[in-house]
Amino acid sequence: MTPVDEIAVRMGEIAVSSAPDEVLLSIGLGSCIGLALVDQRRGIAGLAHVMLPEAIGGGGGPAGKFADRAVPELVARTTALGTSRTALRAVLVGGAQMFTLGGGVGSALDIGVRNESAVRAALATERIPVVASATGGARGRTIRVFPGGAVLSKEAGGAEIELMPGVRA
Amino acid sequence: MTALSSLQLDALRELANIGSGTAGTALSQLLGRSVDISVPNAVVLPLAEAVEAVGPAEQEVTGVAIPLAGDMDAVVLLVFPVDDGGTLCAMLGVEAGTADAISALGEIGNILAASYIGSLGAMTGLDLDLTPPQTATDMLAAIVASVLATRAAGTDTALILDSELRVEGEECSLSFLLLPEPGGVREILARMGVEA
Repeated sequence: MTPVDEIAVRMGEIAVSSAPDEVLLSIGLGSCIGLALVDQRRGIAGLAHVMLPEAIGGGGGPAGKFADRAVPELVARTTALGTSRTALRAVLVGGAQMFTLGGGVGSALDIGVRNESAVRAALATERIPVVASATGGARGRTIRVFPGGAVLSKEAGGAEIELMPGVRA
Repeated sequence: MTALSSLQLDALRELANIGSGTAGTALSQLLGRSVDISVPNAVVLPLAEAVEAVGPAEQEVTGVAIPLAGDMDAVVLLVFPVDDGGTLCAMLGVEAGTADAISALGEIGNILAASYIGSLGAMTGLDLDLTPPQTATDMLAAIVASVLATRAAGTDTALILDSELRVEGEECSLSFLLLPEPGGVREILARMGVEA
């Protein structure tokens, strides 16, 4: 077993890999969504750590922050590694509601749910199927994405679930 | 939020210092024990780096989130490592891990936030109210990120005012965070006369 290089994908970040000894990782997704795009046959994967549904007024900042910008950017970054859009499959993790921080900011009420629907809508536009997901609820989750194809999700204090079976490092 | 000057960060740190001093006194009175208060941090960070500034992403913590209402949009977030939260509850005669313990931590959060925010309001003249506390026990990253996300639409940085309170003679500490929305930061700075 080769040692695995963990690549942390933090809030708003995107990372891609085709190295079999790497794993892309987002620890503690709450209302954020960890979006994995995987081409199992070619061994290419990408992960975006999406915070919010949409960029208002064309806001700048990291490409992974908003669902509507993160999805096309992640597609571009993975295809640049040699896959095609039609070969990509999506897995979604996160979108929980940890708190209901309404407090007069009605739009903030359920960011998790809004994040998930925005990511799904952007994937539909790109015609990329969602093959598995672990979303919603009130618990945080950690996602691990292996370029070899396996996608794992683990809830706080829970067992690791294999959302997409595949080769791990 | 654009970059803050060192003068502005100093002013915010001083506010946090006084706020956490008041909160520490409240905790000390509640427990009948001495409480040490760290020198607070005031940092402006890219969102991606905000979580690790608070603690290890995977650490299991109880978070008590208290959104503010009034003149400034901000969230107070208290972070108790799970074991430390249990110790704190035991000192108050509440069994750790129970629903009572969660509500006790929420109430402690409420008391500390009221002291902190009260002194902040007195110093700045801002009219600030607390809304009811909400608690969650989970990975630190999930808690901090979910709170930051509610205020992150218009900014790519987070201002974190972070103080640590430690009960003397016990393995028991907590972090007290004030996470203002960018407009809230401008409001505080304007009231303190250190506008950009």
